[in-house]
Amino acid sequence: MQTETIIKTKVKNYIIESTFDDIEKLKDDTLIFEEGILDSMGLLFLIEFLQEEFNLTTSDEELVVENFQSINNIIAFIESKM
Amino acid sequence: MTTTRKPFSKDILHIENIETVCNEIISKLKTDVAKKLQRRGAVIGISGGIDSSVCMALSAKAFGPNKVTAIMLPEQDSSGDSRMLAEKLAAKFDVTDTIVEDITKALDGFGCYQRRDDAIGRVITNFDPLVDKAKIEIKQDAASNLPPAFSVTVIKPNGDVISKLLPVKEYLQIVASTNFKQRSRMSMLYYHAERLHYAVIGTPNKHEVEQGFFVKHGDGGADVMPIGHLYKTQVYQLASHLGVPQEIIDRTPTTDTYTAEQTQEDFFYQMPFEQMDLIWYGWENDYPADEVAKVMDRTSQDIENIYKNFERKKKTTEYLRMRPIF
Repeated sequence: MQTETIIKTKVKNYIIESTFDDIEKLKDDTLIFEEGILDSMGLLFLIEFLQEEFNLTTSDEELVVENFQSINNIIAFIESKM
Repeated sequence: MTTTRKPFSKDILHIENIETVCNEIISKLKTDVAKKLQRRGAVIGISGGIDSSVCMALSAKAFGPNKVTAIMLPEQDSSGDSRMLAEKLAAKFDVTDTIVEDITKALDGFGCYQRRDDAIGRVITNFDPLVDKAKIEIKQDAASNLPPAFSVTVIKPNGDVISKLLPVKEYLQIVASTNFKQRSRMSMLYYHAERLHYAVIGTPNKHEVEQGFFVKHGDGGADVMPIGHLYKTQVYQLASHLGVPQEIIDRTPTTDTYTAEQTQEDFFYQMPFEQMDLIWYGWENDYPADEVAKVMDRTSQDIENIYKNFERKKKTTEYLRMRPIF
């Protein structure tokens, strides 16, 4: 079982590496879509990353802002599926 | 200095002086094609849809029907109605130089169908392209605060429907494959335009241009776009005024791209045109969400979310409207 810290680091690193953004810009509660860090394609690639990294499948019903809007929300979503 | 603007209302996009607006577009079209582009007529792809019909009607009035070549570009997935309606349209506006170019073999050569069906088959393993129908669609509401994601839907011959969220690789492969359709059509239109020394008339409306609902170097590849500044409901208003056949006006706008019936609302816009036009107008003219919400009978939060959705779509699709960078 991966700890929350490890999961958070992996997700953060993934977003930073895929967007070439400054790590300082990405706080745990930053609204990543509202702030324009990820766009619609970014969301699809993020879902792919979650599948490959955590073997986590996202359904249509789970595609809601509460699961993806910030690092904190993404971590909570991952943990709820583990 | 203070400026007053019209209060937001459901009639705000209604064109009062439709005759004048049509004449202005026709006059500009003539100038753009003859003077700026130095071409002697117009080539236009007609699909039986409302946008290409209005563009053809405007072109016939601008250049005269004998200086317009109307090209139907069906392929194996096109609706049979499309060709019948396109023929009716050409006849209505006395355009006699009509050509049918079936692009199925070209698309087959590109591997368009095979590549698309392979991607669908990886997501829905019992997909049989010979008998099943398929489409991709956005299932989220436009008022959702999350960017849209596409699902693939397969309809079996017995009516069973299977739908799954598309993984990014398959989504991109399906879109890239089907984009061969618009790009092949563009190539054929330019073949005829160059053969005749004509200009290619592009048919996207304001939403398609600004929300990026077009294929770069496909239906976005044209010399002039006479309705690129008009909202969809205004295009309908022009269609009625110009005398576009009623069957075309009454037809639900589809993409005519996938084997299963797919409306433009399912595929991209996520709401009916009548609502989208008004809310888009509100967004681009900085009407407060609560003022728009009252008229549209929705919550302010819904309108705020839809505004964000528009902003996101415009930003995400900027790439499509960009010229090469050098």
